[in-house]
Amino acid sequence: MASTANAKSMNRAATGQPTSVVASFIKRNVEVISISASIFVLAIIFSILNPRFASVENLENILNQAGLPLIIAVGATFVILIGSIDLSVEGVMSAAGMTFVLMTANSRGGTDYGFWAYVVAIGLAAALGFFSGVLFTKVKVPSFIVTLGMWYVGLGVATVLFGTDTMPFLTNDDLSTWASQQNLGMPNNFLLGLIVAILGALFLRFTSFGRVTLAVGNNEEIARGNGLKVNRNKVTVFVIAGAISGIAGIVATIQLGAVNPTIAAGNLFIALPAVVIGGTSLAGGKGSMLGTVLGVILLTTLTNGLTLADVSPNFKTAVSGGILILAIVITAWSQRDRLRISK
Amino acid sequence: MTAEINVVPAGGNLKVKLAKAWQSVGPLVVFLTMFALVAILTPTFLGNGGVTIVASSAASVLLVALGQSLVLNIGSIDLSNASITILGAILLAMTLNSVGAIAPLFILIVVSIFGAINGLIIAFTQVPSFALTLGTFGIFQSAALVVSGATTVYVKENGDAIKALYQSGIGGIPMTFALGVIAALVAWWFLRFTRPGLAMTAIGKNESGAIFSGIKTRWLKVLAFTMSGFLSGLAGLTIIAQAGSASPMGLGSDLLLPGIAAAIVGGTSISGGVTNPLNVVFGALSVALVPIASAAVGVPSQAQSLVYGLVIIVTVALTLSRSSNSIVK
Amino acid sequence: MTPSTKSGVPVIALTNIEKSFGSNKAVKGISFSINPGEVVGLIGENGAGKSTLLKILTGMYQPDAGSIEVNGKVVKFKNPRDSISAGIGVVHQEQSLFTNLTVAENIAMNSGKGSSASTKFGIYRWSQIYQAAKVTLEAIGSKLDPKAVVNQLGFVDRQMVEIARAVSADAGADGSSLVILDEPTSVLEKHETEVLEKEIRKLKNFGAVIFVSHRLDEIMRNCERILVMRDGELVADRKTSEVTEKQLFKLMIGHDSRAEASSRKSIDSKETAAIEVNSLSRKGKFSNVSFSVHSGRLTAIVGATGSGREELARALFGAEKIDSGSVLLDGKQINNWRIPKAVKSGIGYVPSERKIEGIIGGFTASENLTLTHPGKSALGPFLIPRARKKIAQDWFNALDVRPNDISQELGRFSGGNQQKVVMAKWLNSPELRVLILDHPLRGLDPGAAETVNAEIKRACKEGAAVILLADTLEEALEMGDQVLVMRDGEVTSSYDLAKQNPSTLDLLERMV
Repeated sequence: MASTANAKSMNRAATGQPTSVVASFIKRNVEVISISASIFVLAIIFSILNPRFASVENLENILNQAGLPLIIAVGATFVILIGSIDLSVEGVMSAAGMTFVLMTANSRGGTDYGFWAYVVAIGLAAALGFFSGVLFTKVKVPSFIVTLGMWYVGLGVATVLFGTDTMPFLTNDDLSTWASQQNLGMPNNFLLGLIVAILGALFLRFTSFGRVTLAVGNNEEIARGNGLKVNRNKVTVFVIAGAISGIAGIVATIQLGAVNPTIAAGNLFIALPAVVIGGTSLAGGKGSMLGTVLGVILLTTLTNGLTLADVSPNFKTAVSGGILILAIVITAWSQRDRLRISK
Repeated sequence: MTAEINVVPAGGNLKVKLAKAWQSVGPLVVFLTMFALVAILTPTFLGNGGVTIVASSAASVLLVALGQSLVLNIGSIDLSNASITILGAILLAMTLNSVGAIAPLFILIVVSIFGAINGLIIAFTQVPSFALTLGTFGIFQSAALVVSGATTVYVKENGDAIKALYQSGIGGIPMTFALGVIAALVAWWFLRFTRPGLAMTAIGKNESGAIFSGIKTRWLKVLAFTMSGFLSGLAGLTIIAQAGSASPMGLGSDLLLPGIAAAIVGGTSISGGVTNPLNVVFGALSVALVPIASAAVGVPSQAQSLVYGLVIIVTVALTLSRSSNSIVK
Repeated sequence: MTPSTKSGVPVIALTNIEKSFGSNKAVKGISFSINPGEVVGLIGENGAGKSTLLKILTGMYQPDAGSIEVNGKVVKFKNPRDSISAGIGVVHQEQSLFTNLTVAENIAMNSGKGSSASTKFGIYRWSQIYQAAKVTLEAIGSKLDPKAVVNQLGFVDRQMVEIARAVSADAGADGSSLVILDEPTSVLEKHETEVLEKEIRKLKNFGAVIFVSHRLDEIMRNCERILVMRDGELVADRKTSEVTEKQLFKLMIGHDSRAEASSRKSIDSKETAAIEVNSLSRKGKFSNVSFSVHSGRLTAIVGATGSGREELARALFGAEKIDSGSVLLDGKQINNWRIPKAVKSGIGYVPSERKIEGIIGGFTASENLTLTHPGKSALGPFLIPRARKKIAQDWFNALDVRPNDISQELGRFSGGNQQKVVMAKWLNSPELRVLILDHPLRGLDPGAAETVNAEIKRACKEGAAVILLADTLEEALEMGDQVLVMRDGEVTSSYDLAKQNPSTLDLLERMV
């Protein structure tokens, strides 16, 4: 019946056999293809502006810069997929990073708890995510305001832990050089980001949690009507995002070899626009991890290239902000309606 | 024809009453409690010009919070206001040096335009305000870094008239704070006694209803964001008056959260349609008291942002009145 | 997947089902039963109680009295889930699919059984999900690709997914299942309807089908038996072969009433119409609509679900876009039509969704009343609260609004009293030219309805042209000077009641 029901009135493609495999592939992956193309075009422009851009050394540099935002962006993608937002990333990262350094071998002394340093740091971050999630789902405080508050709570936790003493350095050299060392031809931090992204993609595709996340983001009311456990899913999403922020916090401190409360500053500003240009809709229900990975690479390429083209680093947040605006305006444009309510 | 089912949820009445009580006297009570706490625990506070310190640090928070309240009142949020304040302050410091006395006027026009741009994009492309203003926050922050060359800008000439705003005052209350109170009075009058003011509140309470009442909702949103830009600029003016300089580092985000906290503690609803600018004055004073009060009860000064964060979360959580089946994102 | 049909036991049997809302009895002692393999039509005018009955069957409402038996067993549905697990699947008017997920997942998500069989420790087994969906789809004779994402599908295909889901919901139940199709064709084009009908006939292999439609011809074609509801009662249960369309119309309407021609005002043909509509179209909503309403006259528009009359009314108020055609106000063509412009030009609109679109619930009654047309309560942009109170108090007294407290939040008034304030909000404008009323009496008690009707007539007398989307045909014939009948977005007939006196039956025949 599919071939007869060519619902022209809905102006949508009917199912059945696609006319051309290539055409349908392009149609299904239009976002991925256009971001990849943008990265390619940017790379060519920057190579012309500064030949150093295309050097192996600089490509490693780009991957190294992309590692941390990539980890964060994976968590952000989950949250945005349910139509919410997590602004607490930087605060949670600081809190986790600070906890981690103070529990491992550092210049302030203290006990080295080894493996437990990771567990406690990530656990703390997950707990902050859990609180955000519960306040959001149970008390129904909008996610942007809960996580805005949680941002500063995390920052406050980090500041209190930091105290008035000197900045704690990592004293374990293996650890502090880990991020820039390479495996499989990639810097470790990017590799970790990629692993997190792949795990995220697998979760999204192959677990009920992932599918329910997509369903909730598409239409929460229908999801409830179908008896899906919406609240549990939402809280889980925030816990996962928190835990991922925790991992990011640890990576950030390892990269720096030290920690201070503002260690995560500016990271939200790369991760969020990256997720949105990666095709994940702020309205929820639509998006992919592949898009997020490409979005992060696009944004990192852009900031890296601008730096090499002698543009002042002061423009960095403007570029991210501008891209965020561009991405949300483009997606909202087609949905404009005189009766539509946007807050 | 189906019968009208007019069910007032059980217990809802009490919650509504509590929310109303909170909105009318809550902010004053919170402020007085904190003030009394500080006065009792730190007896030197009153003698050593503590009131002046609180009032002057509340001035910029109050102005930013008033703008935020007007935006929250239409059901949106402005995350860029504090960065507009900093950019405005930097531009003011720079232009005072060159163009002189006309500079404040010029700057206030410029920041109002910044606000209007926020509003225009939000109203006419229908993007969520938090995302858009997060984006413009980044742009204004960059602009502040670029124009200042990433260093603190000092007022070298023509600064006396503006500094006088801080140095003069009545009974230990600096004029900068008085400026905030005047702005609050104007905002209160605007919301209660003008058609656009009432229409803005209508948008916050029920945007669909406002649209079907023939209200020009889009232009009123632009107006609300323009006012937020203007008031953020005024806050920049008080910063210059008090410090004689402006720095692109830090301070922008240092005002954002206190501004939101002051608006919310001042009884402004995060979901729109409820605000009283006069109560926001007490909200701002309470927020300015937070560092002093936390020191008084023995909370380390490092925990300040933690306290702000908790204040926001807890106040919003306590004052939200939502039906249990509404969808929140 | 094949149902184990026990012959003789009805799939569903209702006995004396009752349901009231307040003093309003929506469903009065309904009893019927449906056997396996039957396709039964359910018809009735708007407000006859059909949707309440369906909500009882799907567990959304609980009946006040009576019992439901499914496959011979007495059941009680506390929620929609209970109904699904008893084997009742519904295809709703508004689709309820996850548009971002595949066909297979949408089918699996509804059936508790399906999802548990195809996941292990929370891990999806895609091949099983696809396989299960394929089996279900094949069983209902659909060749849809289970891997297709729903937002890539046309409306008919989506409807098929809904049906597949409804059927698969029953797979877990023992005995036969019941599929309820609630106006499944109301938004379809003709050729799409044909496709869908063919599928519906196959559904009887699964058990029984209840088919609700406002299109009588569809019901006659597809159903063996027809249930007719009127005023909450089951007035007929007939074999399709034993009734004619005409008889069914009569059953739906009951007493056939006719408009009285005498009292109507006829039009002075030289006079310019207050509002004139020329071949107005909006894609997928209404097409080629032309009519005009003169000052002091009332035009009632009647039509069933999907007739496009609501969209037409909203378009005239500037709330929906117009694709082509023109609208003239007092002979002047309007362009770039938006709500604020419409309001300024003297158009008023009373929406059917009162709480969402009609009022600002958190504002006081007096603020609501003067929000749009402040009259003397504003001087330019400045408000004069004292004048506002006087205006509001005058209206409260005139319309007998209760409680007589203008400073109470409007959201806390009863529906009838809210509607009086909404009327006053528009009548407060001395320059009201056109008043559009979308189901103004919906949910009102008789007293409030009478007041609102009186105000409508008064507005008319004072020179407004009124466009009324009436709840009932009687209301249209009683209030109107002219009646337009719409079906599928087009005006099928127009009666000038000064010259013609159609009956409710005449109108109904052109509606469905």
